[in-house]
Amino acid sequence: MKRILKIALWLVVALVGAASLGTIAFRRGEPINATWFVLAAACSYLVAYRVYSAFIAAKLLTLDNSRATPSERRDDGRDFVPTNKWVLFGHHFAAIAGPGPLVGPTLAAQFGYLPGTLWLIAGAALAGCVQDFVILFCSIRRDGKTLGEMARQEVSRRGGFIAQLAVLAIMIILLGVVALVIVNALKSSPWATFTLAMTIPIALLLGVYLRFLRPGRVMEASVIGVALVMFSVVAGQWVANSPALAARFTFGGVTLAFALIAYGFAASALPVWLLLAPRDYLSAFIKAGAIFSLAAGILLVRPQVLMPPLTRFVDGSGPVFAGKIFPFCFITIACGAISGFHSLISSGTTPKMIQREGHARFIGYGAMLLESFVGVMAMVAACAMTPGVYFAINSPSTIVGATPEAAAQTISGWGYPLSAATMTAMAHAVGEQTLLNRTGGAPSLAVGMAQIFSSTIGGERLLSIWYHFAIMFEALFILTVLDAGTRVGRFMIQELVGRVAKPLGRMNWYPGILVSSALIVGAWGYFLYQGVVDPFGGINSLWPLFGIANQLLAAVALVLATTILLKMGRLKWIWVTLAPSAWLITITMTASYQKIFSPNPRIGFLSYANVLAAQIAAGKIPVAKIAEMQRVMFNQRLDAVVTAVLAAMILVLLVEALIQWHAILARGREPVLFETPYVATQLAEGD
Amino acid sequence: MRSAIIRLCHGCLTKTWRGLREWCGDAAYERYVQSMSRRPGSERVLTPAEFYVEQMNRRYSRPNRCC
Repeated sequence: MKRILKIALWLVVALVGAASLGTIAFRRGEPINATWFVLAAACSYLVAYRVYSAFIAAKLLTLDNSRATPSERRDDGRDFVPTNKWVLFGHHFAAIAGPGPLVGPTLAAQFGYLPGTLWLIAGAALAGCVQDFVILFCSIRRDGKTLGEMARQEVSRRGGFIAQLAVLAIMIILLGVVALVIVNALKSSPWATFTLAMTIPIALLLGVYLRFLRPGRVMEASVIGVALVMFSVVAGQWVANSPALAARFTFGGVTLAFALIAYGFAASALPVWLLLAPRDYLSAFIKAGAIFSLAAGILLVRPQVLMPPLTRFVDGSGPVFAGKIFPFCFITIACGAISGFHSLISSGTTPKMIQREGHARFIGYGAMLLESFVGVMAMVAACAMTPGVYFAINSPSTIVGATPEAAAQTISGWGYPLSAATMTAMAHAVGEQTLLNRTGGAPSLAVGMAQIFSSTIGGERLLSIWYHFAIMFEALFILTVLDAGTRVGRFMIQELVGRVAKPLGRMNWYPGILVSSALIVGAWGYFLYQGVVDPFGGINSLWPLFGIANQLLAAVALVLATTILLKMGRLKWIWVTLAPSAWLITITMTASYQKIFSPNPRIGFLSYANVLAAQIAAGKIPVAKIAEMQRVMFNQRLDAVVTAVLAAMILVLLVEALIQWHAILARGREPVLFETPYVATQLAEGD
Repeated sequence: MRSAIIRLCHGCLTKTWRGLREWCGDAAYERYVQSMSRRPGSERVLTPAEFYVEQMNRRYSRPNRCC
C-alpha cells in the first residue's frame, strides 16, 4: 500500500513538472506567471534526483556505505573531519554558489526566457550535477585528491599539468570579468560605492574581533557584521543625498578598476584572518539570506514574466552580447547549468569531510540542483521587468545611445516599447542618476529583485533601499570570489614558479608573496582594464571568454571522470559522463572558433581588430583616438590568442585521454586504478 | 501528548542550532580538541586563537569559493 502511494506521489510530481514545462515552452502571446517556472524547475529537479541520481549511485558508481571515507580513516580535526550530511551540504552549497548563476541567466535573458530556462534545468540534471557528483566520488576514493592530481595519476603527467594550467587560466579570466561586473554596477553610483567600501572596515573590525577578542566565535561576529552592513546600506542613502559626500564617492570605471586591483592585492598579501576570512563570513550569511528571500519573494509575489519566450536576438544580433543561441546561450550560462569550477570544490575540500560514501549523492548532485534553482530564479527576476527596461539597462551606449531619449528610440524600434521618462523615473526611484548602459547583469537583476521585494514589503518607498541591498549583496559575493580567488591564484603561481625559482615557492617568504600577488593581480587587472575601456562595454568580449574557460574546465573534469569509470570497467553506463563531455567539447570548440574567426566584428576578435585597423588606415579615426584604438586592437588579438590556447589545451588533454581509452578498450591493457584500498567503516549503521 | 510535542520541538531546535554552529565554524575548535583527545600525545594541542589562524590559512590556500 505504502509503495503504491509512493509511486502515485512521484507520478503526480512528474506530471506537474511536465505540464509546467509544457506551459512555459508553448505559451505564446500573453505573459506567463512565474509560478510555472518554479513548478517546472522544482518538479524536474525532484524527478532527476529521485531517478537519475539514484541510477548513477547504484549502477555507475556503486556507492558503498560500508567503506570508510577519508574523513573517518584520517580524522585529524582539521581537514579531515567527519561532518553531518546536512551541514556538509550547506558548506558545499555555500562554496559552489557565487555570482555566476545570478549573472549568466540575466545576460542570457536577451534571447527570451525559454532557451536559458530549459538549459538551466536540463544542463544541471544531465551534466552539471553529474560532474559534481562523479568528481566528488572519484576524489573520495582517492583521499580527497585535487582535480590536477587525479588527472596526473589517472590520465597522464601532461594531462595533470594541463588541468593545473587550465585552472589558473580560468581563475585569471574569471576574476577579470567578475570585477568588471562590479565596476559596471558601481560606476557613478555614490550609494552603492559607499556601501561596498564600508564592508572593508567592517571586515577589518571583525577580523580583529575573531583573532584577539573572541577567537573563532564566527556566529556572533557575523551577526554584528551583518547588522553593520545593513546599516551601511541605509547610510548610503544619506551619502547619496548629500552633494558634498556624494561627490567623494562618485567614480568612473577606470578609477574603480584600479581601486579593485589595489583591494585584490591587499587581500592577497595581508594575513588572511584580517580581511579575507571575515569578509567571507559576512558574505556567506548574506548569501544564504538573500537567496532565501529571493525564493520567498517570487513565491509570495508570483510576478508575471513579461519577456517573450524568444526574442528577435536569437539571430545573433543581441545588444548585450553578440552570437546565436548555439553555442552562446550554453557558454553564457555556465554556473547554474554546468560549471567546471565546481570540480575544484568537489575534489579537495568536500571529500575530506564526507561521512559516508552514500552522502555523495545528496551533496554532489543535490547541491548543484539547488544552484540551478538559483539560476532559474535569477532568470525570473530578469524577465519580470518590461523587456524595454531590460535592454536599456544591459545594452552598451555604442549600440543604443547614451541618453534616455536615444536609448528609448532605438529599443522601441526593436519592438520593445520604452519611453525615456520611464528610464529617468526608474533611475530616480532606485536612487541612481542613471540606469542606462550598465551591462553586466548586476543592476538589472537588482532592479528585478527590488521590484519583487518592494511589492512584498515597503512598496515604492523602499524600492531604492531594496535595489541597493541587492547591489550590495551581489557586489559582496563578487568581492568574495575576487579576494579568495586572488589568494588561491597567488598560491598557484608560487607553486608553478617555485619549480624554477625556489625562493618564490616558499609560502611564507614575504618578497615572494608580494611578487606573486602582483603577478596574479596584474593578470586579472589587465583583463578588467581592457573590459572597462572597451567601446562595446567589455562584457561582450570577456563574458564569453570566461564561459568558454569555465566550460573547458568542465570538459577536463568530465573527460577525467570518463577515464576513471572506463578503468573501473563501467563501459555499459559510460554515456552518463561521455555524452556531456561530447556536448561540452562541441559547444566550447564552436564558440572558440566563432570568437576567433567569425567575420562579424561583434563576435570575432580578429575581424573586429581588422575593422579597426582598416578604419585607422582610411583615416576615419580622429588622431587623438588612434592610440586608444590601437590598444583595443591589441586586446582583441590577445583575446583571440587566449581563446586559441585554451582550446588547444583541451584538445591535447582529449588526445591523452583517447590514447588511454584506446589502450584499455582495443588493446585490452589491464587498467591501473589509483584508488585507496578498501577499509571497512567503524561507524554504526544509523550514523 | 503535549510533552511529546514539546520534546520533539526541543529536539529539532537543538539539532538545528548544533548544525548552524558546525556550518559557520563555531564548533570547529571543539571538534579539533575532541579529535586530538583520541590521539593523546601525538602533538601539542593548539590554543583557540592559534587554531583559528591556522585553520584560516589552510582554508584560504585552496579553491573554496566558486563563481
